[in-house]
Amino acid sequence: MYALTSKAWSPYAAGLIIGLLQIPAFLLIETALGASSAYVTVGGAAVSLIDPSLLVNDYVAKHVAITAKNLWQVAMVGGIAIGAFISMKMSGAQREPISPIWTRALGSSSCAVRYTVAFSGGFLMLFGARIADGCTSGHGLSGIAQLSVGSTIAVFAMFVGGIATASVALRRI
Amino acid sequence: MSITAAIMVGILMGIVFGFALEKSRVFEPGMIVGQMQLRNFIMLKVFLSAVATGAVVLAVLNGFGFVKLQPKATLYAADLVGGLLLGVGIALSGACPGTTLAQVGVGYKDALFTLLGGLFGAVAFSYMQPWLDRELIGSGPKLIFTDLAGLSYWQGALSLAGILIIALFLLERARSWRNELGNNLDGDSRLESRHLLAAQIELRVTRKQL
Repeated sequence: MYALTSKAWSPYAAGLIIGLLQIPAFLLIETALGASSAYVTVGGAAVSLIDPSLLVNDYVAKHVAITAKNLWQVAMVGGIAIGAFISMKMSGAQREPISPIWTRALGSSSCAVRYTVAFSGGFLMLFGARIADGCTSGHGLSGIAQLSVGSTIAVFAMFVGGIATASVALRRI
Repeated sequence: MSITAAIMVGILMGIVFGFALEKSRVFEPGMIVGQMQLRNFIMLKVFLSAVATGAVVLAVLNGFGFVKLQPKATLYAADLVGGLLLGVGIALSGACPGTTLAQVGVGYKDALFTLLGGLFGAVAFSYMQPWLDRELIGSGPKLIFTDLAGLSYWQGALSLAGILIIALFLLERARSWRNELGNNLDGDSRLESRHLLAAQIELRVTRKQL
């Protein structure tokens, strides 16, 4: 049932595994699971090569600094791609280059439309996550588990924004 | 911990994370958009299971004094505005900052644009951070609910886990996860409806022939 070669596992088993990742995060790195800071570390480091004045900002300097915590998160976010790739190869799951739901959700089968929406979505996602100081992982998984008041507000707002957009801007999938 | 060791730990943790995301299919755009359209609840099932597990883990680790909690500051306006924008972005990209990488890993081409957009968004925020910090974000206390209620963290965390487990049992009874996977296990149930349509047409034709 839960073989590494299975095509799908129960969401509860996957959730259990993801939740257990808090153990090494807290014990070894002394931080909670999170993903969105890594975008500042990578994006900030890349742009500061062209515009070193960006590093004058303490916020950016703190995220770009070569510290265990910063590089741990970048490595983990990169590792997600490797893990998903290995899992797909082991199960032999096949996918189209773009999920077939998008033709219906966007009312268009144009790749250019999808790429534009994906880019805009990614932009808003990280811009918002950085304002809120966390994303689905940092506020969602870690913040709610820690009973954080701010994270509860952020996750509530995230679902409000997501449900409203998916209902109004996207078509039924 | 040395930086090299932290990177190794990060890669290993990421591989486990990515594995769980791919196997549960929660990273599929069909699952994420489906959740936001309230037609598919796999995302909520994975999310709440992970929160419940995390709460039990932290109740133990913190209750016995092995680790300190790391809650984020409560910033009412920033949490609300940032959370809303994050949600809009999640619906449009069909991903979140972590699952974007799982989509890249399995070869979804549009996820590269989500990733690029995310990097631009993080850089745009970085440039605007001094202004946003002054006008919107500010600073706040690291509030957790059990401190407000005068309880120990572990009591609150175990209660939350208990409530979530009951909620997940009820959710699963109402909607079995196996019925939510979709034909290609990507949350896309269109194929099913297409088969149903074909079956109906066939039925009509057979009736006419009779």
